[in-house]
Amino acid sequence: MDVSSNGSSSIKPQTNPFVNSKLMSSLRASLQKGAIPVSSSNEGSPRPNIFSTLWRPNISNTDDFIPLYSDCIAKACSRTQEYLLFKDPEDKFHPSPEVLTQIFLMTYIGQSLNLNMTDNFNCTVMTPEQRILLGADWVWAVLEKPTKNPRIQIVVQVLHMPDREGIAEDYPPEGRTESLQMAQKESSNKTVCERMVDFCASIGKDCYALFLFLGRKNDTGKIYGVLSNNFQAAVGKCDKIDRDLIENFFKGSRYLHTPTGMLQTITTKKDEEPLTVLIKFN
Amino acid sequence: MDLYGKMAATQDAKGKGEGGDQNFDYMFKLLIIGNSSVGKTSFLFRYADDAFTSAFVSTVGIDFKVKTVYKNDKRIKLQIWDTAGQERYRTITTAYYRGAMGFILMYDITNEESFGAVQDWATQIKTYSWDNAQVVLAGNKCDMEEERVVSVDSGRLLAEQLGFEFFETSAKDNVNVKQTFERLVDLICDKMSESLDTDPAVTTGGPTAKLSDSAPPLQQQGCNC
Repeated sequence: MDVSSNGSSSIKPQTNPFVNSKLMSSLRASLQKGAIPVSSSNEGSPRPNIFSTLWRPNISNTDDFIPLYSDCIAKACSRTQEYLLFKDPEDKFHPSPEVLTQIFLMTYIGQSLNLNMTDNFNCTVMTPEQRILLGADWVWAVLEKPTKNPRIQIVVQVLHMPDREGIAEDYPPEGRTESLQMAQKESSNKTVCERMVDFCASIGKDCYALFLFLGRKNDTGKIYGVLSNNFQAAVGKCDKIDRDLIENFFKGSRYLHTPTGMLQTITTKKDEEPLTVLIKFN
Repeated sequence: MDLYGKMAATQDAKGKGEGGDQNFDYMFKLLIIGNSSVGKTSFLFRYADDAFTSAFVSTVGIDFKVKTVYKNDKRIKLQIWDTAGQERYRTITTAYYRGAMGFILMYDITNEESFGAVQDWATQIKTYSWDNAQVVLAGNKCDMEEERVVSVDSGRLLAEQLGFEFFETSAKDNVNVKQTFERLVDLICDKMSESLDTDPAVTTGGPTAKLSDSAPPLQQQGCNC
């Protein structure tokens, strides 16, 4: 969970030339494939020079969380998939959207704590009121050192198969009903998707909206995502931003990122650049 | 704020509930603002739920809680907004200043920077809120005496200069938490009565009249609280 420190003043992300270079991207890609890492400054040399040795910890610190994140996602997807595909022979067990979201999230959080990755990459779960006001279920953040302020944020909203939406949720405690209704009134003129897009846009281009599909038509057991820091471009051009519009992004798509690829892409992207990627999580 | 306009203008809404508890005489919208990590969320949790945890979770954007208080037999519903202190959320948090009747401007007595930022937060209130919004300055974490870097006198002096009321508080030890909210409610009620005396026109609105966002969000029938 979040452990950021004080400071209302803005702190610009530190730009690490090694992190932003295309060379590093390709190095990371080759590392993923199991290739032997080669330092950029000592190619052909049998031993790394002093400078590459000095730089290495920075590179490592910056991206350490990416394979760990990938591991957490793999666990969360696998667990959620069991529920997505489960057919109760007696047809009595119908997990609600809320339950499925919690299964994904709790599995992710459990694993992220096991891997001790929350110093670099944390997950903040929204309160029920925030889920309505901001349209988000949780927020992932790449943290800046040493302040632990967010450098990049991924605001996540889970989208469920339409046939699950009718399954009743647990009734909220009485005291909570009132505040939830107030939150609904505050945000009644926008769809939940639009609220999240607005929230991300209010923060800036280093804040991404991720719509996480727990199952899609004709592929009910798989988890997909559409991530963008530019959804607000659709505001005004479309009647409304909703599941149908977001799902349209998959039509004709040629390339789906892995969770690792998604994070590598957004952590190496230039500031203020619009970016939209499609992801297959499992 | 549309919600505030509707709810605040609905005095004596007893029995008119359309779901949820609308059984109240007045609704006040309050905001807690201040630098990140000064203890705004803990302060609200202590007041609304009488709970405290030392685990720090940085607030994302904005959140709120509802608490009902009684004053002179009147039921006052407080809609208390907890704002994120980090700069990256400034656009969304300042959007909620509109229509707020009271602010708790908080700093941390163990953090000089948070005290130094009070003036800037006061300017934010002036910029994004209405002139009659009431403000209480709260120096939080007064349980951490050994780490204190802002004296009580410095806090009191700054409050005087800014025209705010002042409390030193501790969400952890439950010091002056309730008192801070109660004082803010008193100040709002006093201001409403004062406005009524100087401008009787505010009483001419009907009970269902909608308050505009830009106008001072006074109760149409005045405040007897």
